Amino acid sequence: MQDISELRKDQLDALREVGNIGSGNACTALAQFLDRKIAMDVPTAKILPFSEISSLLGGPQEKTIGIFLKVMGKISGKFLLLIPEDTGIKLMRTLIPKSKANKASDMDDFEISCMREIGNILAGSFLNALSILTRTTMLNSLPAMAFDMAGALIDTVVADMAAVSDHVLMIETSFLESNENLKLHIFLMPDHDSLEQLLCQLGVK
Amino acid sequence: MPEIYPVGMAEMRIARNPDILAAYGIGSCVIVAMYDPKTKIGGVAHIILPDSTGIAQDRVNPRKFADTAVPLLFQTLSHAGCYKSSIVSKVIGGAEMFPPTENLTNNIGTQNTASAIRALEKLRIPILAQDIGGRSGRSLEMNLATGRISLTVLGESVKEI
Repeated sequence: MQDISELRKDQLDALREVGNIGSGNACTALAQFLDRKIAMDVPTAKILPFSEISSLLGGPQEKTIGIFLKVMGKISGKFLLLIPEDTGIKLMRTLIPKSKANKASDMDDFEISCMREIGNILAGSFLNALSILTRTTMLNSLPAMAFDMAGALIDTVVADMAAVSDHVLMIETSFLESNENLKLHIFLMPDHDSLEQLLCQLGVK
Repeated sequence: MPEIYPVGMAEMRIARNPDILAAYGIGSCVIVAMYDPKTKIGGVAHIILPDSTGIAQDRVNPRKFADTAVPLLFQTLSHAGCYKSSIVSKVIGGAEMFPPTENLTNNIGTQNTASAIRALEKLRIPILAQDIGGRSGRSLEMNLATGRISLTVLGESVKEI
């Protein structure tokens, strides 16, 4: 397998399309779940050196809710949903209008479970679309949630990939809700060994 | 005015009094900070993984792995004029950020700190302080005038080591 930094433009385009299809599905699911109109940014497939990863999303110290799932199957990888704290609170309020939490650290077990469910629904719908596209079954693990600095959440997730490359491939999408400015970020990071398989299934090996 | 130099993942940096070396948003990564109080030169390695064994040599970036980054930082400092015998160290980081679900825990944070400490002991570099493990990310700034490191957790200053 070539190094991630050597991916061709057509391969990156195909991966961006993966982001497009997956996020489109996830976006619809979220809109139905919240009963709101949700808009989606154009997805990107980025190759970043490790030193730049933590500067994503408003800096490494940005208070962020992270929901992490492992992707399992013939194509495996990691799925990370990053939600800035204020967006997380707004989302949760939409689902639980009675909620009294003003900060992510005040969330009770039920509210945390509710955030994890958002992760579950987004990951499930994203991967479902991807399974159809690649004609392989992709399953996700139970979601784990943490509230911390963005940099600290990301470094744990990308650590495994550091063993084989100095770069990480991230397929990224943001969601926006026009009048509320809800901003979520989805990252899909295929495992190194699965990248070749994924490109092969997409017909751009 | 002292300059603040941030050290990103897989990076290593040295600086001298009165500057400040910083690392922000450290999760399972481990920071090895070294300091020579005589010359007031210090360095920080922002390490991602414990062990480079088994990785093809031409692909190894020594700054990524604890077993290679620690000797490299030590060597870099001695080339910069530090006295090897007066270099001391501190170890920070290695948290487990996501609570384990199912059997999917891979405790990379613990492995990182254990490997960094082993590498420091191998070089007989005294470890003056450590703040490792737990469930929270950390940020730090090392003041090269004194070698003191201030730690923050989610924007709140927690302690100085």
